Amino acid sequence: MPELPSEVTLDEVKERARLAGLPIPPARLAMVRGFLANALRPIRALDSRTVRTVEPAVTFAARGGTEAQ
Amino acid sequence: MTAADELCYAGIRELGGLFRRGELSPVDYATEQLGRIERLDKSLNAYVTVTAERALADARAAEAAIRRGDAGPLAGIPIAYKDLYATRGILTTAGSAVLADWVPDFDCTCVTRLQQAGMVMLGKLITHEFAFGIQFPGHRFPPARNPWNVDHIPGGSSSGSGAALAAGLTVGSLGSDTGGSIRGPAAFCGIAGLKPTYGRVSRAGVVTLSWTLDHTGPMARSAEDCAFMLQALAGHDPADPASAREPVPDYLAGLEGGVKGLRVGVVRDYFFEQVEAETVAAFERALGELGRLGATVRDVTIPSIHATPSFMVIMLTEAFSYHERDLRERPELYGEVLREKLMAGGLFRADEYVQAQRLRAQIREDTARALQTVDVLITPTVLGPAPAFKLVHDPDFPFAKSNMGPFNITGLPTLAIPTGFSSSGLPLSMQISGRPFDEATVLRAGHAYQRATDWHRRRPPVSA
Repeated sequence: MPELPSEVTLDEVKERARLAGLPIPPARLAMVRGFLANALRPIRALDSRTVRTVEPAVTFAARGGTEAQ
Repeated sequence: MTAADELCYAGIRELGGLFRRGELSPVDYATEQLGRIERLDKSLNAYVTVTAERALADARAAEAAIRRGDAGPLAGIPIAYKDLYATRGILTTAGSAVLADWVPDFDCTCVTRLQQAGMVMLGKLITHEFAFGIQFPGHRFPPARNPWNVDHIPGGSSSGSGAALAAGLTVGSLGSDTGGSIRGPAAFCGIAGLKPTYGRVSRAGVVTLSWTLDHTGPMARSAEDCAFMLQALAGHDPADPASAREPVPDYLAGLEGGVKGLRVGVVRDYFFEQVEAETVAAFERALGELGRLGATVRDVTIPSIHATPSFMVIMLTEAFSYHERDLRERPELYGEVLREKLMAGGLFRADEYVQAQRLRAQIREDTARALQTVDVLITPTVLGPAPAFKLVHDPDFPFAKSNMGPFNITGLPTLAIPTGFSSSGLPLSMQISGRPFDEATVLRAGHAYQRATDWHRRRPPVSA
């Protein structure tokens, strides 16, 4: 599998929007690219194999609702 | 400033004393506040809805309770709610055309608790659209303006709350904070805003932006007033799945304890990047003042802090989850630019959301480690004073680096208070963060600083 590029390109934004079925106007693509690039930079810089395993902050309680505490 | 103007800036302790001694009637005070809103809000746009009849009814009830001698410290104190908080029988718009006609048939938990405490509802305050978008010209709801300079933004998304408090158009308010929406307006308007620990104050009945980052909390003109309001707001609510069962301490009991011996940590990495010189200078003076009051100040590190921007993956993904159906079925009801910002949340992959949560856990652990060696962390709240509308109305205005986001990621209690003014006359601010559920220490530190300084007593150039 090819390595992820470090930066988010406009073409990548267009492809993601196409896959998601979201009609992002051309005039806003650069803004959206900026959002994605900023948010994803730390994630793309991360080699998840080198990070001590940390559970995502999701909890589950079988009993659910207010009794879960 | 007239005596009536001065009274509109009074704090909760002072007003409560006047009410209990019979020197001021809550009904007369509410009437004065409503008149002030009528006179001043035309140029500030802080209020979406003014609930005059409700305010007078609440004030009469509070007055009766005070006469009976069974009223608490908030009885008769005016409050206005960010228009994200559901209020029974009162329009609740979230600043959006999507909810422009929504009249809830219930009160959210926070409103219920403050109502039970005897507060007087003046009305609902404008919020940035769905607590995220900025209102561009032509939006159905005009933006609130900063009382210190109406050409500048009051911050957001609790924009009306910040503007109304700074202009003396309410005594208390509630805001919500997903990436800084309590603390940002507090910083830009020169007031106090407390983002409590995640789970400390209920979010039930408050319109969602991002489930794992949303916080609700008090905004006021001082740390002390935030403490008064937090006392009534805090505590478990079965209607909010994230609500904590931690016991609620007496936030006022230790408020006067000062900062002698308090260990203050300053994170120099990340939090000072892009921060303007005047903000840094005011911050350093504030640290000096805390040192003079007996606190010990030293630098600490949070090694993973530079991963903070990944919190936008979480926020945008969760926001998109909330809005997806409306975005797809009636996108025209969303404001310009906000629509595409929310759609950006539909472009992240599942693995990216999970990795962002893993980074979040790492930042939380590193921050907790830093807080093992100090009692509070103090950092600049924002990068500089409030920007002008003409800057933020550029659709390509960059999303600023956030000093506030780390404390939404970690869920830690954080109080923003003013530290001075820029050469252009706009407020500057610092934020004080503490350990989980240790709002008492955060408030004590903020109150000690405010007893020694008068930044929070300065008034903007508005006159009735």
